[in-house]
Amino acid sequence: MGELWRRLWYLLHRKQMQRELQEEMAFHREMLERGGTPRKHFGNETLLQERAHETWGWTWIERLAQDLRYGMRTLLRSPAFSIAAVLVLAVGIGVNVAAFGLFNMFVLKPLPVRDPDTLVRLQRSAPGTFASSVPYPSIAFYRDHAKTLHAVVASTDRDVILERENVPARARFVTTNLFHELGAETGLGRVFDPGLDDRKDAPPVVMLSHTFWEQHYDSSPAVVGRVVHLNHKPATVVGVAPRNFSGLGLPHEPAFWAPLAQQPYFVEGSTVLTDTSLDGMVDMWARLEKGVSPKAAEQELLALTDELRRQSPKSVWDNERLVSEPGGYLQAVRKDDVPMIMLVGTLVLLILTVACSNLGGLMLARGVTRSHEISIRFALGASRQRIVRQLLTESLLLAAMAAMAGVGMGYLCLRVFLSRVNAPPWLNPAPDWRVVLFAGAIGLVASLVFGLAPALQLTAKRRSGTRSRQVLVTAQIAASCVLLIVAGLLVRALHFAVSSDAGYDHEHILVVDPDLAAHGYSATTARSYLDTAQARLRQLPGVTSVGLTSMAPLGHKNVTSLGGYPFGIFVSHVEPGFFSTMGIARLSGRDVQRGDTHEVVVSESLARRIWPGESPLGKQFPLDPSNALSEKLSVVGVVANARTMSMHDPDATELYQMSDDASLPHMVLLVRTQGKPEDLATAVRTITSGIDTGLFPTVRRLSESFQDEVGTVEKGAMIASLMGASAVLLAAVGLLGLVAYAVSQKTREIAIRLALGAKKTHVITAMLRQFVGPVAAGLIGGAGLAAAASQLLRRILYGVSGLDPAAYFGAIGLLTIIIVFAAWVPARKALAVDAMRVLRHE
Amino acid sequence: MPSGALAMLVLRVLRAGPLHGYAIAQRIHVLSNEVLEVEEGSLYPALQKILLKGWVSAEWGISETNRKVRFYKLTAAGRKQLEAELRDYDRVTEAIKAILRTA
Repeated sequence: MGELWRRLWYLLHRKQMQRELQEEMAFHREMLERGGTPRKHFGNETLLQERAHETWGWTWIERLAQDLRYGMRTLLRSPAFSIAAVLVLAVGIGVNVAAFGLFNMFVLKPLPVRDPDTLVRLQRSAPGTFASSVPYPSIAFYRDHAKTLHAVVASTDRDVILERENVPARARFVTTNLFHELGAETGLGRVFDPGLDDRKDAPPVVMLSHTFWEQHYDSSPAVVGRVVHLNHKPATVVGVAPRNFSGLGLPHEPAFWAPLAQQPYFVEGSTVLTDTSLDGMVDMWARLEKGVSPKAAEQELLALTDELRRQSPKSVWDNERLVSEPGGYLQAVRKDDVPMIMLVGTLVLLILTVACSNLGGLMLARGVTRSHEISIRFALGASRQRIVRQLLTESLLLAAMAAMAGVGMGYLCLRVFLSRVNAPPWLNPAPDWRVVLFAGAIGLVASLVFGLAPALQLTAKRRSGTRSRQVLVTAQIAASCVLLIVAGLLVRALHFAVSSDAGYDHEHILVVDPDLAAHGYSATTARSYLDTAQARLRQLPGVTSVGLTSMAPLGHKNVTSLGGYPFGIFVSHVEPGFFSTMGIARLSGRDVQRGDTHEVVVSESLARRIWPGESPLGKQFPLDPSNALSEKLSVVGVVANARTMSMHDPDATELYQMSDDASLPHMVLLVRTQGKPEDLATAVRTITSGIDTGLFPTVRRLSESFQDEVGTVEKGAMIASLMGASAVLLAAVGLLGLVAYAVSQKTREIAIRLALGAKKTHVITAMLRQFVGPVAAGLIGGAGLAAAASQLLRRILYGVSGLDPAAYFGAIGLLTIIIVFAAWVPARKALAVDAMRVLRHE
Repeated sequence: MPSGALAMLVLRVLRAGPLHGYAIAQRIHVLSNEVLEVEEGSLYPALQKILLKGWVSAEWGISETNRKVRFYKLTAAGRKQLEAELRDYDRVTEAIKAILRTA
């Protein structure tokens, strides 16, 4: 410790210490001279001093300061180059910072709540089955018996109608301990209180989210105490949640918070608090007891699950267990997300690669003009290591500036992104220490990547420069090639999604979801409601037909699929008339009929996948192919393909069954209209809500959902195209510079050849031949890399093969044209030189 | 001369009392019967090293020629270090001598 202090003390006083040493050594010499030693025996004074001074180990810091000062001066002397270099690199770093910033915001940064690290989200899991929600009776059981859990929080969302408005608002029903548990007690009014709001006879209360309060109530403090009507039920507003209150980080900030215990009051007939089946839709979180690990809690919960199975066998699966994931973050990374994260990571790193190799080319080209300076420094006795270090310091300076600019650009990108997706106010895109650290690290790596090769090249004894030029060209071309191909694939996928036939007439259909199940309807009551609704809707002028299905097309709700098959089979329970309402063509056989139990209708693709080349009619179809005794379905009809589950489906393998008791409460009504469906929306809403005034059916156009689906791909394709375009632009500029540099080195050679009568085309070919190999290698390598990357894209590339020839040849063709252009411009310029003038010049 | 040995000699001549750089070199020269010649190039780095280790402290004083100069003084840590080095040195020389006698 003492030694370190002395070292630091020396660093702070080094000017004085050096002077003292100098004095001391001068005295030594004086004495020597006095003693008669001849002067020529003395060594080099400065060198001796430096050697003594080096003992303290601070030389590197002084050299670094020297190098930084020198580097700064060099960069300031050619501001155009410096600005261009910083900008190129800032783009590369900025894209990476933006991507990392997003990841940071969602995964790494804890939610702004009290003690986020002891929060866990609990979900049900059993071999082959998974559910993110837990039935509320089970949650209550775990809460009452678990000793490893300090507190249990539950939450469920539901759209409600505010006053008499048509547009539903989102209400989030939560256990009343939520606000205290998350440490959010500073809002306007009061927060929910387990002592007041959990009692059976407690008066109904709601809280407002900060955003909704601002937008809907103009931030008026007088709103506290006012009575509002949700689903026509009065409730008192007791408070407003704090502005930065994230809740548990669920997507879509709600407009209202309400006690879970009062959910059946607002949603008439709701059985959410008592239902032990899967329909519960309640999400479960817990705060761990101090010092308890998530694993230990899972152990205890497993024992409780077994106990629960004894008490209520129907509510627990075989081999079920609750699994935990970190609950104090916006998003936990699941296995499914890894390919997507890797893909985005690869793409942004590719842009950085292009930027780095581009800058490497710039540094190399500029190095030529500095070769004079470098040879002087060599002549003065500088070592190669010293000069390389100096050049690297310059790169480091550039990278540091680019990293700073990159952090700014990344922040801007995130701001724009968040404003586009209506992010809640507590999501903060400002860079934190992780982002800054990341940008620094990326900058450091980048400076080595683009700085080291040119530095070694410039200081090498034999300076041909061909090799590093070739490496730079290959890297740039390969990286741009990957980016272009991926962009091409996404654009093709978009094109496919938009142009290909969804298989049904989405332009003329209204989807009406009365959500009978959530209101506690049984099969009998649901049947009578649906019959009445159908009959009344059919009488509405402009309605051509009405159909029923359990899986709303593109609704992502109540999705049922058959396991055990190598591809997903989506099951819809429908009623006769569904196909004609949707506009799905019947190819052979018959429609479903009342009284069908094991008779099914399949889509053309499904028939082709299971019985290729055979007529599927009358074929037997096991529900579970791994079990020989499983129930068998027999095919009575075949219909055309319709991607009702999602436009993202590569293939429409659908199965249609007659509705049964279990599916009736989940039915949605499909209304096919003659004219524009939006003209009938109000009438349809009035009819369907008129049958039971406790219901608040949602009515939406199917074309809206269709547009949403297409929009997702559109955004992805646009971002990918932007990335591809910027990479290609960078690569073109870089290549232009490299060819110009190569040509400038050979001006004399060209002049001599021309003077001796060589044909211009021959000279050009000879000049550019050195680039053919690297370009070809880059294109081939890039295509290979893209083929590997496209496997990660599988999930969003619907309808397009990962090896789609149009995307590959298109990208390679476009790139080739750009490369030829980038090479041709400087080469032509070289040929235009006046040969005699160049030759006389030296 | 290895630098470790030089440090030991410096510490040894300082045991008698504070000396400045030139005097240290002279003392070593004289005490070694003019065999060992300590040059600036090795003496001052060695002194800086010893300072860094905290074995000596430096103070400005006036030389016999009436000039300001730095005097080095053994610290407690330096005294301990010297004893340890002398012990080690003795042990090693004894061992070498033993081998030379028998071999």
